[in-house]
Amino acid sequence: MYSRAWVRVRSTYGEPAWVAVNLAVPLLSSSAMGLLYRSAGVGNYAGFAILGGIMLAFWGNVLWSMASQFNWDKEEGIFEIYLVSPAPISAILVGMSLGGILATAPSAAFVGLIGWKFFAVSMHPSWLAVSLTFFLTLASLYAMGMLLSSLYLAYGREAESLNNAISEPINFLSGIYFPAIGVGSPFPFALQIAASFIPLTIGMDALRKSVFYANGVTIVWLNLVVLAVMAAVLLVLGDRALKLLEERGRREGTLVVRLR
Amino acid sequence: MAIVEVKALARSFHSRASNVVALAGVDLQVDEGEVFGLLGPNGAGKTTLIRILSTLLLPTSGHASIAGYDVAKEPEKIRPLINMASGAERAGYEFISAKGNLWFFSQLYGISGEDFRRRVNALSNQLELGEYIDKKVYALSTGYRQRMTIARAFINEPKVVFMDEPTIALDVMTARKIRDFLAEEAHSSKRTIFLATHNMAETEAICDRVAIIDKGKILVCDTPDNLKRTFGTPAYVVEVSPPPNTMEIFTSIRGVKGVTTTLDQERGLARVKLVVEDQEAVDSVLKNLAAANIRLLSSWRQEPTLEEVFVNLVGRGFTERELENAS
Repeated sequence: MYSRAWVRVRSTYGEPAWVAVNLAVPLLSSSAMGLLYRSAGVGNYAGFAILGGIMLAFWGNVLWSMASQFNWDKEEGIFEIYLVSPAPISAILVGMSLGGILATAPSAAFVGLIGWKFFAVSMHPSWLAVSLTFFLTLASLYAMGMLLSSLYLAYGREAESLNNAISEPINFLSGIYFPAIGVGSPFPFALQIAASFIPLTIGMDALRKSVFYANGVTIVWLNLVVLAVMAAVLLVLGDRALKLLEERGRREGTLVVRLR
Repeated sequence: MAIVEVKALARSFHSRASNVVALAGVDLQVDEGEVFGLLGPNGAGKTTLIRILSTLLLPTSGHASIAGYDVAKEPEKIRPLINMASGAERAGYEFISAKGNLWFFSQLYGISGEDFRRRVNALSNQLELGEYIDKKVYALSTGYRQRMTIARAFINEPKVVFMDEPTIALDVMTARKIRDFLAEEAHSSKRTIFLATHNMAETEAICDRVAIIDKGKILVCDTPDNLKRTFGTPAYVVEVSPPPNTMEIFTSIRGVKGVTTTLDQERGLARVKLVVEDQEAVDSVLKNLAAANIRLLSSWRQEPTLEEVFVNLVGRGFTERELENAS
């Protein structure tokens, strides 16, 4: 598990161009939103954009470096090495998640620091609620990545298209840069309900409340419970889906793509 | 003692468009410490058999076991005992050194730091990885990537290693180095090497026994020498000048079963390969050449190759069979 985490961290920082991209992309997109808020005369909302940039870095990592990673490994012949080894696939995925979190943390911190300084964001954090929310949001996001990994293994080469297809709708519905659920949401109630099935939506809502409005655990408890349940359910589903897919793959011969 | 046992193993792949029989009742036994070659053209069923034995694929019917464990029902008991490598896989993660990659793959087997250091030093020496062990994979040449792949396949000191075309597209020196390494590992460390290949030279060079597979069936299984002796026909090659006008001086002799000629116009000679039954036929050839005033420049006996064994068994060569399989 920890060796896969090490691979993820080393790979992320193995290429200077990647480091620059990892730092620049979330910073630029959240800065753009921050400037938009400022030009619209609601500069105090710029903090939402910065917070969104931080979480976007993790979400991007889940989507591009975790969910579709096994599919790339499969196409390159590495996935079969995992399967032939005694290591459980779920342990490799957990390692990939931990590595993803560690590898993304510096760029997320960079976005936070630069954004906070540049936009002079005013924060009133309730640190316990912030920490719990952050931890549970990452847990549910990476658990979702594990589930997506198994789905991508089934869909194979369409994984990249699937990433593209779900990336923007989830960014939009989860309210990366604006409140998607509750007070201030621009969405009708039905859409808010639908958006609440995305862990990022629940996490972003609780983070905004606890970072900017000093809402403590007693206020965001429902978000925390929902995130914990989502993380647990997604983990179990991901593990089961992987086992089922492995069995199906062994039966149908779809675990490897190289054909000779 | 047999470590790999295969009985009546069959595997077919069904789709809406077709039903492909990849293995049609394979029986095999491979001993501990043996380099076992599975030789056949592309599409013969080699990779399918390796996938079943390495627990990646379930058989449709039949039975296979590694060290007594059933490949279909007990994959978790087999996996710590085996490893695999192919000539087509990516060596590892590009932005990590060869050593870093080997450490990562060793962790899939729970190998301790001390054991890893001992093992990686030994493998690095055997495969002559030298300073390349510390280079990132993207900076390695094809040959060194493949050496790393081979080192990875032996990092857990497996009892059985499955190799699928391990020297494909490699230069002669690297291919030889890898073959020497495989033979040494099998014979000195009692590891079983199960080698799927369509490279005859490789098979002849290192395999203790060879099974020839075609259309999902094992045609024969024996040592390379026995196969050549039993199913091959020795040839007799003569270089003569001037080139004969007609092949009748060879074909008219009883005991000459086949004649192929290559003309070397620059040197004004012909190289004639004769498939003969016995020495009497060779003597008759020499007499006929003298009678026709054709000078014999050189002659030698050519041992049969495994390709000839395959041709004799199947009626066509690897290339023709691969074209058939592809169409």
